[in-house]
Formats: sequence, C-alpha cells, structure tokens
Amino acid sequence: MRYGQVLRPKEPGNARATAVAAAVLLLVFVLAGARWPWSPKRGLGLFFGFLATALFVFEMAYPFRRPKARPLGTAKAWAQAHVYLGTIALLAVLIHAGFRLPKGALGWALLLLSAWTTASGLVGVWLQKWIPAALAEGLRVEALYERIPGLVDQLVAEADALMAGADEVGERFYRTEVRPSLGRPNPSWGFLLDVRASRDRALEPFRRVADFVDPAQKALIDDLMSIYTEKIELDAHYSLQGILRRWLVLHVPTAGMLMGLLAVHVFAWAWY
Amino acid sequence: MNPRLQLLVPAEPEQLRGLPLFAGIPEKARDKVIEKVRRYIHVVAFEPGDIVLREGEYSDSAYCIVDGAVEVVLTAGPAAGARPEVRGGAHVPPPQRAGARPEAEAMVGRGRGTGGTVILSAMPADVVPGQRTILEAGEIFGEIGALSRYPVSATVRAETRLTLLQIRLPGLRMLLAASKEFKKFLDERYRARTMARHLRSVPLFEKVDDQFVERVKEKAELLSFEPGQVIVEEGSPADSFYLVRGGYVKVSVRAGSADLAVTYLRKGDYAGEAALLLDEAWPFTLQALEHVEIVRVGKDDFKALAARHPQLEESLWAEMVARLKLRGAASRNPVSSEYLQMAMETGLIHGESVLLIDLSTCTRCDECVRGCADAHGGEPRFIREGQKYRHWLVPTACYQCTDPVCMVDCPTGAITRSVGTLEVTINEPTCIGCSNCANRCPWGNIIMVERGEKRPDGKPVELATKCDLCLARPEGPACVQMCPHGSAVRISFKDLERVTATLR
Repeated sequence: MRYGQVLRPKEPGNARATAVAAAVLLLVFVLAGARWPWSPKRGLGLFFGFLATALFVFEMAYPFRRPKARPLGTAKAWAQAHVYLGTIALLAVLIHAGFRLPKGALGWALLLLSAWTTASGLVGVWLQKWIPAALAEGLRVEALYERIPGLVDQLVAEADALMAGADEVGERFYRTEVRPSLGRPNPSWGFLLDVRASRDRALEPFRRVADFVDPAQKALIDDLMSIYTEKIELDAHYSLQGILRRWLVLHVPTAGMLMGLLAVHVFAWAWY
Repeated sequence: MNPRLQLLVPAEPEQLRGLPLFAGIPEKARDKVIEKVRRYIHVVAFEPGDIVLREGEYSDSAYCIVDGAVEVVLTAGPAAGARPEVRGGAHVPPPQRAGARPEAEAMVGRGRGTGGTVILSAMPADVVPGQRTILEAGEIFGEIGALSRYPVSATVRAETRLTLLQIRLPGLRMLLAASKEFKKFLDERYRARTMARHLRSVPLFEKVDDQFVERVKEKAELLSFEPGQVIVEEGSPADSFYLVRGGYVKVSVRAGSADLAVTYLRKGDYAGEAALLLDEAWPFTLQALEHVEIVRVGKDDFKALAARHPQLEESLWAEMVARLKLRGAASRNPVSSEYLQMAMETGLIHGESVLLIDLSTCTRCDECVRGCADAHGGEPRFIREGQKYRHWLVPTACYQCTDPVCMVDCPTGAITRSVGTLEVTINEPTCIGCSNCANRCPWGNIIMVERGEKRPDGKPVELATKCDLCLARPEGPACVQMCPHGSAVRISFKDLERVTATLR
C-alpha cells in the first residue's frame, strides 16, 4: 500500500524550511518577550501582525496561479507555498497576540477564523493525499467524476440485458436485491476510511444465490457480481471524488470572511 | 489543387509487367505477385514544381519514376544525435545514480536515436546539401524512409510533368519477399549509401576508421523479420552481432517459466558483441515486436574486425565488464520488467513524450485539462481518461511517437514535425479534416473537433487536433506545469532509465 506516503511531505525540503522558520519565529518571540513586555500594537508584536496579514493576502492570491495569469513557477510550487505559508501565518497570528486569548469580539472572530481556515486547509491537505492513494491502491476502476452517473446507467443497462436470460431464481434475486441499489450512485462516507468498505457484505448474497442456481445460471450470477463490483467501485469514486471537490466549502468561505475581518482590524488599528 | 489531393489511380497489371521492379520475379510467379501487390501501387501525376516528398516528413511509400524527372534538394539538417527535450523542463529529470536502473541498458547497446538524422540513402543519388540532383525515369526513391521509418531526408519536387508509381509499404514488403533481385537491389543501395552513416551513429563505432566501415559494409548481411518472429533464442550459440535498422525488438530473459522483458531495441541499438567476445551463448532472446530490419555481422567477421582495431576491442571489453556486473538485475527486479512489458504491449515505447498521471497523488481536480484548455483557446487537447496501469494513468494525449504514423498520408502536409524536434503539430489552416491522421493514430490520440462551420454538403467541418506540447507557451506543456500535486509527468520511453525509476 502507498498509504505511507500520506504521512510523508511531498517536498520534505519545504517542510523542513517551514519547521525552521516556525522555530525561528518562536525563538524571536521568546527572546523578545523575555526582554520587553509583548504588545500586538507595537514593536515586534505589530510586526508579526503585519507578517500574518501579508501572508494571508498572499494566501488569497492562490487562484491567480493559472497560465493566463502567466504565473511565476509551477502550480505545485504555488500549492506548496499556500500550504506552508498558511501554517506560518497562523503561527504569526498567535505570536502577534502573544499567545494570549483575545479580549474583544473582533479578536475572537479573527483568531477562530484563522484557526478554522488553517485547520480546514490542513484537513484538505490530508484528504488530497489520503483519497488519491486510497483510490489508486484500492480500486481497479478509474472514472471521471462527471461521467459516473452515465457509467452507472450503462451498468444497469448491461445488467438488465444480462439478466433477461436468467431463470426465475436469478431474475427474482436481481429484481429484489440487486437492481434497486444498482440504479443510481450511492455515495457513502464509509469509503473515506475504507475504500473497499462493506464490499464483502455486499457481494455475499451473490455467493449465496450462486449455490441455488444451476451451473449455466451460475455464470450469469458471476457476471452480475462483476457488474455490481464495478458499481461499488464507481460509488467509491463518486463518494471520494465528491469529497475532494466539496471540502473547499469548509475552507474558502471562512477564508473570505477572515480577509474581510482582517481589513476591518487593520482599518481599526490605523484609524484609532 | 494540391497535387497530393489527387485521386489515386490503381496501376494496371500491363503497366507493371514491364517495370524493372518486377524483373527479378520468376516469370511464372510474376502475374500472381503483380495481382497481389497492385492494390498497393498507384499511378500519381505531378505538374512541374509540385512537391512529391517534403524533407522531415514521414512517408510510407517508395516512388518509381515512370515518366519525367524530379529534382532532389537537401538542406543541411541538425547534427545527428541531437536529443530534443521538452521545453520548460516538463520531462522528469534523470534519476539519481542511487535510484537508477541502468542494468537493462547495460544488456544491449544504445544508439544515439534518430531524431534529426539525415538519411541520404532515401534518395538514389549522392545528394549534396544545398545542391540539386535530378532523377529520371526508372529511378526509385523513398524506399529507405518507408521501410525504416526515417523522416524523409530531402525534398523531392517535380522538375517536369511527372508520372510516378507510388508503392505503399505493404506492397514494398511483398515485393521484397517475392523478388530476391529487388531485395538485393535495395540492400545494395542501403549498403552503399546509408550503412556507413548508420554505423557511425552507434557510439561503439563512432571513432573507427573508414577502412573498418568499408569492411563491415562488405561483410554485413541485411535481414528482415516479421512481427513476433524470434531473432535469436536465449541459450543458443552467439553467432552474430546485430544492429537494428528499423522497428522494435523485444529483449527478454527466461526466469523459471516466465519470460521477463528486460529492455527493447530500436533503430540504432545493437546487441550481441559481448556474447561474441566471451564466446558465450545468447544471454537473452530477441524477438521482433513489429517489422524489423537488421544489420547482421557474423561472429568470425566481427571478431576479425575487432582484433584489427585494438581501440574498438578495448572499449568493447570495458563496456562488457560493466554490463556483466549488472546483467542479473533484471531477473531480480520483476516489477520493472512488468512495466517494460506493459510499455511494449501498449505501444508506449513509441512515445517520445508520453503524459503519465500518478493516480496515487492525483486529486482529479482537472487542473491539467484546464491548463491545456487555457493554452489552446479553451479547447483541451487531451482527456484525463485512458489506460490505467497500476497507479499510473496514460491519458489520451499524443505520445509524440518516434515514428509518427499519423504524418504518413496527410494530403496537405498539415501535420508536421520539424527535423530535430519532438513536437508533431497540426497546422490548422492547412488541415482539411480528412481524418487520415486520426484514423492512423493507433492510440486514438488525435481527435476530430467540430469547428461550427458547415461544408457545402451540409456536414459540419471537423479538424484534427492533438497535443502539441504547448508550442506557444515558453514555459512548456501546461498539463505538467498546472498540476498542483506534481502528479503529471512527461516521459520519453527512449530513456528506459528514467522510465523505470519513475514508474517504480
């Protein structure tokens, strides 16, 4: 299994550089905090506020990596920068606040949104590493997300044609136990933890019914089972690719809110 | 009208009977052969100035001048052996030595490849770059390019009104099989005009003197093999040195009952010298994957030549020591052999720049397709669908084949590859939508796309589109550059070392 790669950073050099940068920032905070009283409004405290703001603004520039915008570097470099600098940005927010809980509502909102946005981003990183590895290693079928409903329809048509030649037992088994769940994609969260989740249980009835039909019909049941297996794999693709497409709803809206509140925060600091 | 758009007129048996092409076939069999071959032979006519063959294009035909004359013009091409690379560093870098797997390479010799190589012998006269040469009735040209699938080495233009017999590749092969004289004639032409250049393209013979080359030309035997035919069997006594002129040859070793693919040979590659020097049996089996043309030098001749050239013998021994050290590795690493077998079965070995997607890291975000679309006016040149092998997806994107069969038969010359480059491109304004290229592509990587216009007969105008490696982008192929996870890579299956290191 290649699941091991989920735990490994794609670019270990970037991970190491981020760890070193985080350590340096913390060291600066510890040393400066020991020498002077820490305040987010002046000195290094203010500097970390600027740093966090600048990094968040950079993070929001991520969509501009497309070729029409003639990017600097590759999309991979942008993605790496987005992940690691985003993490540093949260650390900069915490240092800016002096690792103290905020007092006002705006402060709380900023802290919670920063933490949520960063955490949801890291969850996204995990999903983007876990799901592809699971799909590649656990499934034989590969399918484009948009085509899955169409492929399921094709499987149903194939199964209908196949079982038109079945005897009474096979026909009843198909009509009552297989056809209802074959007809449309059945997404499930269960695939996230185990991409082959409940496959054995789902295929057990096929094995059972195969014992009750004559040898000629058994071949039909075997074929039906392979169609059904393909359908389960398409369900897994539909579920997991769907998650990969939708996790951004946890991340992008809060990032937008964060930027809005950040603007208010900066304006309030400048005005008052 | 472009002369290549003319209707092809099948040759009549009477026209063919008197031609010197058929002279070598015994009289009894001649009519039978003509009947079989004539469906591949057409009469084509050209006006003065019309282009018959264009330098750098690929052709699957030889031409026999029936009436008139042609002018042959050769420009000085790039240096042979220049290895074109994909711009923007999109190709995966060579593996670090620690991860490298050079053992497959070590079992056979690698030529320099033929990208950009100018093969003069496709023309029946000693054509000097920059000068024009006239060929007249009775001359044959283009046969080497058709048989070995080298790019056409010179531009051939009608000097006068011209009538030619166009002999397509299957017909050419039938003639070669039927007529010993015709085979001898073509072999002699190859021997006289191409072999020296071919030999010099092999690093092993790069520095040998002219005398050596002349001796090899004299002693070598030219052989043809059909797809699937075994050239040499593992364990049989090594009796020859083999140099591949054209086609692909599978190299495999037996491991128990399994047949492990170790590597493959393509034009310019060679095998057998190590076994000859050591007086060993063949350590592997060579099998033709397609029609293969081979230059064979017998054991005694090879040994005599090597003995007469101490410098060559020295480098042979040095190379052999390195090979022997690494020979067993293929049998110890069956997975890479499996990948190689897959590449041979699926045709990926033809690819100069194959797009691969690592499904174990690909998030199916389609940024590669979107990037491709952005780089081509909103129309992507590939689909993220295709063959899946283990965790690798081979999408339907042009492989930029070494021998692009799609380029054969384009009536307007719209599909081209500049000499010495990788990109096979379609010039849209010249494409007439005949779909010859799409039908010829064995991998279905050329797609006919509707252009929203109608033909006079009411049918929609469709033009051929394919991956052009993002020629217009200085940054290189967008598919690779736009993948946020580094899952899309481009690989040349010529570089087995990179392939095995990447796919493992």
